[in-house]
Formats: sequence, C-alpha cells, structure tokens
Amino acid sequence: MPDPQALAAILAVGATSYAMRAGGFIAAGLLPQKGLLQRLLKLAPGNLFAAFAAAGMVEGGWPNTIGCLSALLTMAATKKEWAALAIGFALAALTAAARSQSG
Amino acid sequence: MTMITETATLTPWTFGAFRRGLAAGLPFLLSYGLPGMVMGIAYRGSGLDFSTAFLFSLLVYSATAQAVTLGLWSLSPPIAAMVLATMAMNARYLVMGAHLRQLFADLPKRRMLPILAILADASWMMTVAEADRGRRDAGYLLGASLPMATGWIGGTALGYVVPLQPQGPLAIAAAFLPLAFVVTLLPTQWRGTGSLLPWSAAAATGILAALLLGPSWAMLCGGAAGTLVSLLRGDDA
Repeated sequence: MPDPQALAAILAVGATSYAMRAGGFIAAGLLPQKGLLQRLLKLAPGNLFAAFAAAGMVEGGWPNTIGCLSALLTMAATKKEWAALAIGFALAALTAAARSQSG
Repeated sequence: MTMITETATLTPWTFGAFRRGLAAGLPFLLSYGLPGMVMGIAYRGSGLDFSTAFLFSLLVYSATAQAVTLGLWSLSPPIAAMVLATMAMNARYLVMGAHLRQLFADLPKRRMLPILAILADASWMMTVAEADRGRRDAGYLLGASLPMATGWIGGTALGYVVPLQPQGPLAIAAAFLPLAFVVTLLPTQWRGTGSLLPWSAAAATGILAALLLGPSWAMLCGGAAGTLVSLLRGDDA
C-alpha cells in the first residue's frame, strides 16, 4: 500500500478528477435547458473536435498530419469509420517508418 | 395535433447500445493501453511503488493530470498544487458533462454518475456523434468507455511490471488512433460552409494554446474560441 501522504495525494487528485467529470453534468441540471446554454452546448462539440484535431496534428508532426488527412478523406469518400481508421493508422505508421529511416 | 418523437419515449440506456459501444471502443484497448504502459514505466522510473502507480491510474484516470502530478511528485507531495493542476488539465470535462446532461436529462443520476468515472474524451465524442445520428444512449457511453479505462489502467500495471519501451512506427500509429477517431467524427458536426470560420478559429486557437500553455489546454481554449465566434455571429453553424 502507498504511504499515508502518497495515499492522501492520490485520493485528493482522484476526487478532483471525478469532480470535474461529474461537475458539469450536475451543474448543468441546475441551469436553464433552453436559450444560450442550449445553443452553446450544440455548437461546442464541433469546435472542440476541430481544436483537438488541429493541435493533435501539430503536436504529432507528419505521422499524425498524414494520418488525419487520409482518415478524413477516406471518411468523406466511404462514410465508413473502420476504413478511415485503418487507412489513417496505416499511413501514420508508414510516415513514421519513413521518417525514422530518413532521420 | 400532438407529436411524440421516438427519442423522447425511448429509454436512454440499452444493453444493445452498450454492446455496440463496447465493440466500437475495442480498438482503444491498444491506443489507451500503450500510453498507459508508458505511464507505468514513468511511475516505476520515478520510484513510486506498484500500488501507488496502479491507484493513480485507477482513481485519477487522466493522462494529462497524471503526467503533471507526477512532475510535481516529491517525498511530501504538494496536494494543493496537484489539485489545481488537475482542475486545469480536466476543465474540459465540465463542458462534456454539461453536454451529456442535455443529452441524458431523463436518465437517473444514480445510473449516469458512476459512468462518468470512466468518461474519456474519445467515448464522449463517440456518444455525441451517436446521438447526432439519432441513437442517444448512455449504454453506448459505458460500453465505449470500458475498453479505454481497461487499456489505460491495465497498461499502467503492465508497463510497471514488464520492462518494455513501446516505440517505433506501430507505437506512434497506435497513439495516433484517438486523434484519428476524432477526425472521422468531424463530418457529423459539419453544418455547411458556415462552420468554416468558427472551426478555423477553434483550430488556430487550439494550436496556439497547445504551443503556449500545453496540449491539454488546446481542446478547451480552441473549442471556446470557435463557439464564441458562432455565438457572436448569431447562427447555429
């Protein structure tokens, strides 16, 4: 078992982590479900996705960028997630392999 | 005439959706497992014992929060600083939770709150996309979240006990999978050319936030900027 200080730190951080996960769900129930909040929650996912994807491409470099673009194009062309994921995975791996060989 | 929509009468928690979510989430065993292993290796390298490393991933279950708190770790852990760092790293979950409340307002809290303990970015996105396709179901959220949590927690334990260093092209591609999933979900949120401007603002702000503040801020800052652009413009794209 962890020592008491370590256990206290893990419990505090764990409780905070869960509070952030559950907090939005609980607090949203206390707020009006129509109007500005509803619009905000409808608009937020697409913008969150776009920000996540853009930062992930920059952070991961060429493998992530090539993988993302190929997955997006495959999804647009086939409408099949499994195909988009497989193509994106394969091209990300190939790009990483090519870069490790050239580097 | 009174219209009753189908979604309003359906129970938003079904076993069928749980199984679909579980199947869709299975690839994440690998993509969450590999980073989990890396975290286990880092915990071992930092001198933490196995039970401490395992409890961290079990109770905190957040790569960014765990990485930051590991950086703050000392013989006498600074709990207040760790709590603040965790709040900052996981602030995006507040938005996700609020959105889930809108989707599952009719689901009892006793069913939803336990599921939120293993809420992950990818499972939230998958559940939102499912709801947009007319398949609103918290069973899907639980099913999709389980492989992710199992991969992360199991990966941490495995990484701690097995002296492996996951690297190479396949490890890079596996770590890329959650991002790939988000990219495949983007079309479900596309609302025509009107989405171009807010999404560009979201992407640019996300990149800036990642570079200046750290990757965990990208989603929150970028998402806020893009949503603000849409709200100020006064439309729903």
